[in-house]
Amino acid sequence: MEKLFNRKVTVTLKYIVVAFVSSLMLMLIMSSFAKREYAISGFLTVGLIAIALTYLTNYSIPMKFFLPGMLFLFAFVVGPILYTVAMSGFQYSTGNYISKPVAIERIIATGIRPDANQTTFDIIVGEDNAKNLEILASDPTNKVYFLSTATTKTDLDPATVAVDGNGDATKAPGFHPLTPDQQNAVDQKLADTRFKYSSAYFITIEGSNVASLKSQTLTFNSSTDTFTNVQTGAIYKDNGRGDYANVANKAEFLQPGWRAPIWFSNYTKLFTDPQIRKPLIKVFIWTMVFASLTVLTQFALGLFVAMIMNRKLFGRRIYRSIFILPYAMPSIMSILIWGGMFDTEFGAINHLFGTHVHWFQNAMYARAAVIIVNLWLGFPYFYLICSGALQAIPAELSEAAAIDGASNRQIFRKITMPLLLQVVSPLLVASFAFNFNNFNIIYLLTGGGPSNTLGGDVAGSTDILISYTYKIAFGAGTQNLGLASAISVVIFIIIASISLYGIRRSKVLDSFK
Amino acid sequence: MKKFLKEDLWRHAFALVICFFVLFPIYLVFLSALSPTGSLQVTSFIPKTISFRNFHMLFSSPTIPYLVWMKNSIMIAGTVAILSVVIGAASAFAFSRLRFKGKKQGLQLLLLVQMFPAILSLSAVYVIMERVYSFAPRIGLGTQPGLLLVYMGGAMGVNIWLLKGFVDSIPLELDEAARVDGASAVQTYWLIFVPLAAPVLAVVSLLSFIGTFNEFILARLFLVDMHARTIAVGLQGFISGQYASNWGPFAAGSIIASIPLVAIFLSLQKYIISGLTAGSVKG
Repeated sequence: MEKLFNRKVTVTLKYIVVAFVSSLMLMLIMSSFAKREYAISGFLTVGLIAIALTYLTNYSIPMKFFLPGMLFLFAFVVGPILYTVAMSGFQYSTGNYISKPVAIERIIATGIRPDANQTTFDIIVGEDNAKNLEILASDPTNKVYFLSTATTKTDLDPATVAVDGNGDATKAPGFHPLTPDQQNAVDQKLADTRFKYSSAYFITIEGSNVASLKSQTLTFNSSTDTFTNVQTGAIYKDNGRGDYANVANKAEFLQPGWRAPIWFSNYTKLFTDPQIRKPLIKVFIWTMVFASLTVLTQFALGLFVAMIMNRKLFGRRIYRSIFILPYAMPSIMSILIWGGMFDTEFGAINHLFGTHVHWFQNAMYARAAVIIVNLWLGFPYFYLICSGALQAIPAELSEAAAIDGASNRQIFRKITMPLLLQVVSPLLVASFAFNFNNFNIIYLLTGGGPSNTLGGDVAGSTDILISYTYKIAFGAGTQNLGLASAISVVIFIIIASISLYGIRRSKVLDSFK
Repeated sequence: MKKFLKEDLWRHAFALVICFFVLFPIYLVFLSALSPTGSLQVTSFIPKTISFRNFHMLFSSPTIPYLVWMKNSIMIAGTVAILSVVIGAASAFAFSRLRFKGKKQGLQLLLLVQMFPAILSLSAVYVIMERVYSFAPRIGLGTQPGLLLVYMGGAMGVNIWLLKGFVDSIPLELDEAARVDGASAVQTYWLIFVPLAAPVLAVVSLLSFIGTFNEFILARLFLVDMHARTIAVGLQGFISGQYASNWGPFAAGSIIASIPLVAIFLSLQKYIISGLTAGSVKG
């Protein structure tokens, strides 16, 4: 031990670790900077400087203890929290997923149309002498032959050009055809290149040896930040919500949009947009009911069991080991097993009771199933807590009360319960807060269902806020990360107030010195 | 005897009812795992034939990389458990023993941060890791190291909080004595605190291990590749949508995955429970 903490050894070890971590971070800083992820590389740079300052100087001793934990907390907890708050102020959803410059590029790239005659050319893909992509285009019917790159077009004399049986040009001076393998390698670049034809028209590649004549329909004017459809004359303007909208018809957007700051719109939408507000209220009520019922049933059964066992009883240790089994098993497995047991056709529950209940197709049954399963999962926790608390209550109190003539019920209500609640109430609050966000049980047992998807319902009957938020963010339909973030922030405010209330009562804040 | 009837009989009666409630699903898992059909359907609650076909399938079927999933789960949960406690213990020690400016604010911030359910910032984590993937594909979205990093961050708040509670209960005299003898804070930490707190650190790592082993949603979002999955994601994907057909192997897999956790839990229940209450009483 002494040897291990020999100063030379530890100092060397410290430098090795610091050097290793720093070089890793430096690598990440450089690669993130190259990909223009400035926020991430900025964070990493600050982290790197902090590491150097902390471990190479003696500026702050506490920091030596805090820094690693702090870096992780900031990177993966505080950072995402701030990012969530930021995202909630953006139009950030399917169709508005990219940045504005990228969206403009995409609109320009897709806003093209074929020329009136739908002209096509037979082509050979190759390179010019300067290794630029070049095509050798032939229109055998009209005997038109030319070479074209992104910037130049060279007409060839039909009289001298070498043609094959179809009348397609086969070679041209300064043109080097690509092999199929080479062509595959530049596939994406080929598809994106616009080969020169005339000032209004250009050529895009359609297949390995066909290309067609196109012109730009949507033209972008960067000084006014508008798109104009040259065919219809329609003008599309940035509507401030992440889309270019037709000036004449505000509901017509160009695709794609981009993620644009819309400040508090996601929050106001929660209260004003009936399509969001209605399911949200429904889900919120069920969340409250679910969390309260869960805590109540778990606590009631846990307390009941603790009271039964609060006495020397034959086989008490065996009972105890059995009762805490649900708590010891991995909850994911238990939930999935219960899911199978509630199956209508094959499930053990219908088999046991000889019924044919559609547990997960009926809203009320599904809710009952969720509560039952959660009771099974959670009552052992309260059993353990309550039996500990019951044993801590001095026996003298109830004995004294009994001598004074109090009945068992009176002893329970006037002495045991108040003392117990004093210990347990912060845990009840914590359990409420936990179940408020108990995603696993909902997602794995019912998936939030049943829901009337035909009626356009996103929220199912057993969806709680967190599973509803998950559906909004990662669901099968439109994914709206901005809206989901706004709901997350609201949930956090609720949870934080509940927990802070619990903490205030447990007086833990007073112990901070 | 009369007293027994009056006092104990009803207790046993209720206890047995609750035992039935608790054991029913567990019994069924064993029933399905040992049945030769492997289907969810319960034909009889008493097994007529016992077969190990389902267990055999887990280890031999090429479509169920069960052992790989198990290995992934143990590796990920184990790494998180050890590293997050090693890192968290240092912070907890500083919060509990060192004096510095801003300690109160720091604790309040920690309290607030560890209350924030990780799942709420799920979409943010997703988007951030998607960006990380763009420049560092090895630690971004869809990779185990990426998931590990996110878990580490998530475990940090709770672990520091939990460990601080334990550290507070270790008597001050020892490290004061060390300091009088001229030990620095770093030396006190390594030579006095770590050996003393070793059992506590072990318990918190265990809690951390169980928590990570049970984590589902991040793992599901991150690990798409069949061979990268954890046991929870693997088994879930394996029965979702087709409860009936894969039920037997699923039950067998659940039993094997549960045994180590249940064993750990039952043998260390005293410590684990005190840890759980300490953590939640204080936040």
